[in-house]
Amino acid sequence: MSLLGPEAFLGPLERALRDAGGEAELWAHRRRSAITRYAKNEVHQNAAADETYVQARVVVSGAVGIAGGTSLDAADLRALLSSARAAAELSRPNPDWPGFAEPAAAREPRALDATTARASAQAQADAIRSVAEAARARGMRAAGTHQLELSEDAVANTRGVAAYAPMTMAYLRALVLTDAGGSGWAEDLSSRIDALDPASVAARAIEKAAADHDRARLEPGEYEAVFEELAVAEVLRFLSLTGLTGQTLRDGRSFMAGRLGERVTGPAFSLWEDALDPRTLAIPFDVEGTPKRRVALVERGLARGVVHDRQSAKWLGAESTGHAADPRRYAPGGHAGNLTMAGGDATRERLLAGVARGVLVTRFHYTNTPDPKRATMTGTTRNGTFLVEHGEITRALANLRYEMSALDLFAGIDLLGPQRLARDWWSSNGMGSIVCLCPPVKVARATFIGSSPL
Amino acid sequence: MSDAIAGLVHAAVARGASYADARTVEREHEAVTVRDGEVEAVTRTADRGVGVRVIHRGAWGFAGTDRPGEDALRGALDEAFRRADAAASTRGRPVELAAVPAQRGEYRTPLGRDPFAVPVPERVALLRAADAGLRGPNARVRRSSVAAYRTTKRLVTSEGTDVTQHIVESGAGVAVTAVKAGAKPAQRYDGRLTRQAGWEFIEELDLVGRARRYRDDAEATLDAPLAAERPTTVVLAPEFLALLVHESCGHPTEADRVLEHEVAFAGTTFLWPRDRGALRYGSEHVSMTADATLPGGMGTFGWDDDGVPAMRTRLVDRGVFTGYLTSRETAAALGLPLAIGSARAEGWQHFPIVRMVNVSLDPGTASYPELLRGVADGLLLEAPASYSLDDKRQNFHFSTQAARVIRNGEIEGHVRGVAFQSLTPDFWGRCDLVADDWELHGFLSCAKGEPLQLMRVGHGAAHARFRDVPIEVRG
Repeated sequence: MSLLGPEAFLGPLERALRDAGGEAELWAHRRRSAITRYAKNEVHQNAAADETYVQARVVVSGAVGIAGGTSLDAADLRALLSSARAAAELSRPNPDWPGFAEPAAAREPRALDATTARASAQAQADAIRSVAEAARARGMRAAGTHQLELSEDAVANTRGVAAYAPMTMAYLRALVLTDAGGSGWAEDLSSRIDALDPASVAARAIEKAAADHDRARLEPGEYEAVFEELAVAEVLRFLSLTGLTGQTLRDGRSFMAGRLGERVTGPAFSLWEDALDPRTLAIPFDVEGTPKRRVALVERGLARGVVHDRQSAKWLGAESTGHAADPRRYAPGGHAGNLTMAGGDATRERLLAGVARGVLVTRFHYTNTPDPKRATMTGTTRNGTFLVEHGEITRALANLRYEMSALDLFAGIDLLGPQRLARDWWSSNGMGSIVCLCPPVKVARATFIGSSPL
Repeated sequence: MSDAIAGLVHAAVARGASYADARTVEREHEAVTVRDGEVEAVTRTADRGVGVRVIHRGAWGFAGTDRPGEDALRGALDEAFRRADAAASTRGRPVELAAVPAQRGEYRTPLGRDPFAVPVPERVALLRAADAGLRGPNARVRRSSVAAYRTTKRLVTSEGTDVTQHIVESGAGVAVTAVKAGAKPAQRYDGRLTRQAGWEFIEELDLVGRARRYRDDAEATLDAPLAAERPTTVVLAPEFLALLVHESCGHPTEADRVLEHEVAFAGTTFLWPRDRGALRYGSEHVSMTADATLPGGMGTFGWDDDGVPAMRTRLVDRGVFTGYLTSRETAAALGLPLAIGSARAEGWQHFPIVRMVNVSLDPGTASYPELLRGVADGLLLEAPASYSLDDKRQNFHFSTQAARVIRNGEIEGHVRGVAFQSLTPDFWGRCDLVADDWELHGFLSCAKGEPLQLMRVGHGAAHARFRDVPIEVRG
C-alpha cells in the first residue's frame, strides 16, 4: 500500500479552493484496506480496496451545500465544488451555521508505521496460519480477521486551513472454537503490524476456549463481575453515543444534561476524550480541520464536559474541541471517538481474587441501548463467560444477557487493571468508530437479565 | 470501462484463474435534511469503481479500486491474484461454485417519477410541512429528510455472464424527540421508509400525517403510565415485525453463518442443515419467504452479484424451518440446490457475501379488526426502539418507541417502558394469528461483513398476535 503524501493528497484540495471563491471547504479521506478473513483454520475471504472520498462544503448566503465524490483530479474537484455550490443555492440559510474553521496549529501526526503500510498479503496469511496451526494442534479451529489499513486525511478551506495526516492500523482477531461448543477470543490492535503477536493471540484464545466446556446457565440477577477490556470498551461506546457530545447535551438526552459538575458515577471512574495520547489510533485534527483537544468528560465520578464540533459549539456558546466526525456516519454535534479511561495496576489474578461469586465477561455481542438517557446497555456475552467463585474460575457459563446503566456499573468499581487499546463490537468492523484505551475492571454489581440456551 | 472490465476478466483467465468476475458500480445519492424547521444541508454524493474477483489455486482473491485507467485496473488484478495466492497457502480444499447458466440482460427499476428530477424546493417544501407536523409543546428535536439513490452496475464473469442493472430507490424519514422536566425523553422515528421506486413512493407515505402521528406518540409517551410487568398478549405492527423478521429469521437463515464464515463477528445460527424440514421455528401460522423478485422491494434485483437471477424461496413453512439464503459458494459447500441467489456486495469495493433479499412474514387471512377482537387485555407494540440479539440469533431483546393498551379489542392509551426478551423459536411459537394487512418495509443499512457492508433489504409483514409474551418494564 503506497502513501500519496501531503503534496499529492492535500495539494489538489488547496489548489481547487484557490479558484473556488466564496466560502468553501474540502475534506478528503483515502483508505487502503487489506482484510483477510479466516474460518475453520482457512482463509475464506481476502479483499483489498483502495478508496477515496472527497467532500465539498460550500456556503452561499448562510445556506450549506454538500457534495461528495471519489476523485482528486482538478477537473473533478472543480465539478464537486460546483455541485456543492448548486446545492447551497437550492438550500435555505441555516441561522445556526457556525462558519468554517480558522487555521490553528495541530500536533504532528504520529500514527503512521511504514512497515505496516508495506506489509504483504502473504504476511497476513502467515499470521493467520500461525494462529490456525496453534488451534489445530489442540484439536480446535480458529476464525477471525487480519486487517491492515493505511489512511490519509486532508482538510483545506478558504480561510486558510490546510492539514494532512496519515495513519496505519493493524488488527488481528482470533476466535478459537472447540468441538465441545467452547469458544475463546483474543485480539491485538495497534498502529504497527510488528506489535501484533499471533502466537500470544492464539494462546490467549485457546486458553479460554479450553476452559469453556460443560456450560451452566446462570440465574438472572445481580452479580459481582470482572469485565475485560473489550467488555469495558462496549460499555464506554454507549456513554460516548448517548451522553458525551454537545448535541446530546443540547437535546437534553445526555446523562450530563443539567448535571455538569455533579456526581454521576463512582469516584474510581475517570474518562477523557484524548486523541493526542500516543498510544491510541488517531490523527490530530478533525474533518473540519480543527486541532483535537484533550477533553475531561468525567473525573473521579463528576461530570466535567462534552466534546464539540463547530456546530454544537455554536449551539452552546462553546469552542470546538476538534471533534467533528465523518459526516457520512454521524450527524453534526460532535463525536467522542478516542476514549481514555483511567486504569490501575491490578493483575488479572487480583481482579478475580476479589470476586466471592460472580461472572468474568470477555466481550459482548450486538449491544444496544434501551435507555439512552441513563446510558443503559443491553447485549449478550460471548466467547468466554465464566463463573468465578472465591477468586477462581469454576465453570463455563452459557452466554448471558446483560442490561445496566454504564453509570451504575462504574459506580461500583472496586479494582482497575492496566489500560489496553480496545474496540467495541460495533467499531471492530467499522460500524462504529470508537477506539478506547481502557482497563479491565472488577465491579461490585452487574445485572444479568437472561441467558442464551446451553 | 465496459470493454475494460471484460478485458480484465479475460486477463484473469489467461493468468490461470479458474473463475473471475469484474463489477463496475456507480452510485449516486442526493438528500435534503431539515432540522428544527431549517434546512440543515442539501447533500449530493457519488461513488464509482471496479471490483475484480478471482479464484486462483483454489482460493478467492479480491481487489477494488476507484482510480481510473488501465494501470489501476491491472494493479487491482495483480492484487487480487496476490491475495488469492496468499489465501491458497492456508487452504486444504478449493472453493467450488454451484453451477448457474450464463446470464445476459438488463434490469431497470420501474419508475413513476425520477426522484432526482424532483426540484429541491419541492422537496424542501414537503419537509418543512412535515417539520410543522412534528411541532409539539415538548418536541425538542425535529428532523425530517428525503433521499434518492441510484446504482448502476455491470457484472461480467468468466462463465459468460454479462448483466447490467439500473436501480433507483427513494426514501424519507421523520423523527421527533420530546423532552420534559421530570420525564424520560421520548423518541419516535422511522428510518426504514425506503422503496425501490420513484418519488411516487414518497407521496404515498403521507409524510405530514405521519409526522403528526409520531409527534402525538412522543408527546403521549412522555406522560404515559408504565406498562404492567407480566406475560400478556402482544400485537406487533408490521413496522415492528419487519425488524423482528429481519433479525430473527433473515440473519439465522444466511448460509455463510452455517459455514462459520461470519462466526467471529456477526455470529452463527441455530438453524443447521440437519434441521431443514424438521425444526419447529414457530407456530403453524408462521411462514416466511425470501423473494428477490418482489416489486418495490429494497432487496429486489435482476441478478445477484454472483450473476444468479432473482428467485423466490420459502425459509419457514407453516412453522417449520425449510431453507437458507445462499450464494453459489455456500450452496456448493453445503450441497444445497441453488434455490435463491443472495450474494450481494454493498459497492465496488466489497466482496459479495450472503445477504438478505426481501425476507417477509407471509400474510394470514384474518382482518386486523378480527385479530384485535381476540385480545381481551394486551398491548399493541407499534415501533421498535433498541434491539439486541445473541450470536446465534436465539436470545433477543427489543424495546419499544410506541406502545398502547388493547382492551376488549379496542386500542386505548399509551404506556411506556415496554421491552421483551425471548428465544426465537419460543417467541414465534406464541404466534396465534397473522392478519392480512401485509405491507412492505425497506431497510437501507443491514450491517454485516468485514469490512462492514451496509445492505439494502426489504421486509414485509402484517399485524400479528402473540400470546403470553413476558413483558419487561424499565421506568
